[in-house]
Amino acid sequence: MKITGYHVEHYLMKMDRLVGDANLPSGVEMLPGSILSLETDENVTGISLGYGGGIEGLFGAIEGADPRETVALWIKMNDWLHKAGNEGAASASLSAIDVALWDIKAKLADEPLWRTLGAHEGRVRAYASGLDYCLSDEELFAFYRRMAEQGIDTGKLKVGLDLKADLRRLGIMREALGIASPRPGLMIDANEYWSPKQAVRYVRQLEKHYDLIWVEEPARRWDYDGLRLVSQQVRAAVASGENLHNLADVYPLIANRAVDVINVWTGQSGVTGLRQIAHMAHAHGVQVSMMNAQANYMAHIAAALPNHNMMEVVDPGREHCLKWDNHIEDGFIVLGEAPGFGIEVDETKLRELQANPPTGRGRFPFPRRDGAGRYIVPPAPGEVPWR
Amino acid sequence: MKVTGVKVTPYACPTGGKPAGRHANGGSIVELLTDSDLTGIAIGADEAVAQMERFVAEVLVGADPRATTAIWRTMSEVHAQRRREDPPATTIAALDIALWDLKAKANAEPLWKTLGGTRPRANAHAGSIALTATDRELTGWYGSLARDHGLRGAKLRVGLDEEPNLARLALMRTALEHGTTVPTLIIDAEQCWTPKQAIRRLREIEHEFDVAWVEGATDSWDFPGLKEISNAISAAVCVGGDLATRGEFLPHFQHRSADVIQLDIGIVGITGALELADAAYGFELPVTLAESPGNIHAHLSSVMPYFMSMEVVEPLAQWPVFATDVRIEAGWAIAGDAPGNGLAVDRAALGRAIVRAGR
Repeated sequence: MKITGYHVEHYLMKMDRLVGDANLPSGVEMLPGSILSLETDENVTGISLGYGGGIEGLFGAIEGADPRETVALWIKMNDWLHKAGNEGAASASLSAIDVALWDIKAKLADEPLWRTLGAHEGRVRAYASGLDYCLSDEELFAFYRRMAEQGIDTGKLKVGLDLKADLRRLGIMREALGIASPRPGLMIDANEYWSPKQAVRYVRQLEKHYDLIWVEEPARRWDYDGLRLVSQQVRAAVASGENLHNLADVYPLIANRAVDVINVWTGQSGVTGLRQIAHMAHAHGVQVSMMNAQANYMAHIAAALPNHNMMEVVDPGREHCLKWDNHIEDGFIVLGEAPGFGIEVDETKLRELQANPPTGRGRFPFPRRDGAGRYIVPPAPGEVPWR
Repeated sequence: MKVTGVKVTPYACPTGGKPAGRHANGGSIVELLTDSDLTGIAIGADEAVAQMERFVAEVLVGADPRATTAIWRTMSEVHAQRRREDPPATTIAALDIALWDLKAKANAEPLWKTLGGTRPRANAHAGSIALTATDRELTGWYGSLARDHGLRGAKLRVGLDEEPNLARLALMRTALEHGTTVPTLIIDAEQCWTPKQAIRRLREIEHEFDVAWVEGATDSWDFPGLKEISNAISAAVCVGGDLATRGEFLPHFQHRSADVIQLDIGIVGITGALELADAAYGFELPVTLAESPGNIHAHLSSVMPYFMSMEVVEPLAQWPVFATDVRIEAGWAIAGDAPGNGLAVDRAALGRAIVRAGR
């Protein structure tokens, strides 16, 4: 059993709707996609979604190796990157390869990845996340109501630019989720738009009216002093970590008790790397929460983490050329029995997308907004539909 | 190009419309002379003329004024060696500003461009007025800044009695509502509180008001006290407006006893402000710039990665004895294209305002 080659497909998607946060409240609808396929000599192919650049720089580390040796290969790739570090584009390549290796490992065992990783069942609690700063009040209600109809009773609202509007919209989200629970769970996400003290002031104002489970990225990703200060001064938990890329990056947050929840995803050095982060967090009594993913594929990993609370579901329409084996039921992502991540690529649709790339507004990812960390620049008239 | 000497002209003139609580506005025009036809200009503090002249003759004459960073280091070292008295920090800061003016003029470009910035559009807030200003003066001044210049934030100097502080904060907030629905409220306690007094006062204020930051919450050297205050209130604790050297800022960086760093180019110079702003950025601390004559601190805003806001006490283009190329529009400070820092001395007005030179 050997790794023999790889190929990468790039394409562009137009999502079903705009997504936006405090940094770009007007939102974007275009999303670049990549599919990495890792080939073996046994007719099994590992698939990895989302990033496929720079694989050639790392492929030498795994070529000819047995793909089932996932963790050993992770160590080898990490060592391979010793001098320049597991950072930036190299880290993204390592992450993509690791995901594909785990897909192969589970497929060879002819089982879903959640079972390979040791989960008891393929079932992960979900929360709804609208990436919704670009949605009108009506669209906001419709999104969370649609989620609540699937039993999801917790939502995360994008906030940070307009206290009055955020208070109103928290109420809209709560009302929409109200059919799933008499007491819906409320979370907020500022995407690093504030300084720590701005966060304290803002969140304290929101907490006069709402009980918040967590506030996400209230300060910069690496600022353990600032994140801890926020955590100590508000009632809500502080969540962060989505923009850090390996255990070494996350370590100061855990060691300094700066965060209460760590957002994890495969971009943190793959399945292996994010599991390391979750395990270290677990040792310190800190919870983790899985980020949203195309076709919710990361739920397989979440199902097997000892300290996972709930996984983000966005569902903006990113599955144009994918077939998948999971669904949402009673507020949980329920994973099927298809081997690996249970993802298949619809080659015909992929070729169509590549031949006729769609066009639309903006393109992910977007830059940081003016004023961030220093002063608030509220949306200009016409920038968002709710102002 | 070489520095050949300095001309220092102390002046005093009546204050403008601002309720400043004093009858005269004073300072000195510092003109750094060179062997070219360029002159570097700075508005200095009320300088000891003879002392500045002596220092320039000793350290600057013969130097190429474009070597701003190297000269700053030399001046800072002399300042430190001589127990920060000969010359005082304000003297080397004024000379640094004049040197940067020369450097930009030598490039025939505005200072912001020489510094590496893009055209400044700097978030601005109103500086404080005298504690002795009447309620009517307070409402009138802040109201006009909000109405006519779009300022969205302002600083209130507070006193020892809490009742008037609360009442005046409400007046200031109402006045600012001409410009915004969410005014930025800033408090300056002038280091008159102990840490525990500060916590009691500020918590009472925060019961009613959302305060952005507080300056002078307690003594600026008391980093444990400032940290204690920061831990107990929602507002950011702002430190630095009266600090001059890196060594004085270090404890606040190290212990995070400041949530906002204030820099006064009249004390730390332009070079020092740039160095300290980068250090603050490394600690994720937003930077606010204290008032500067002619609002020339706007030039620095676009080269400070964590620039937050600059203090403005006089929003006009025409100051008593000089004109500036920085205008305040819709709450933003915008610098023009005049070479250097854009300050132009009004000789006639200066002639009427000169005070006896030297000390």
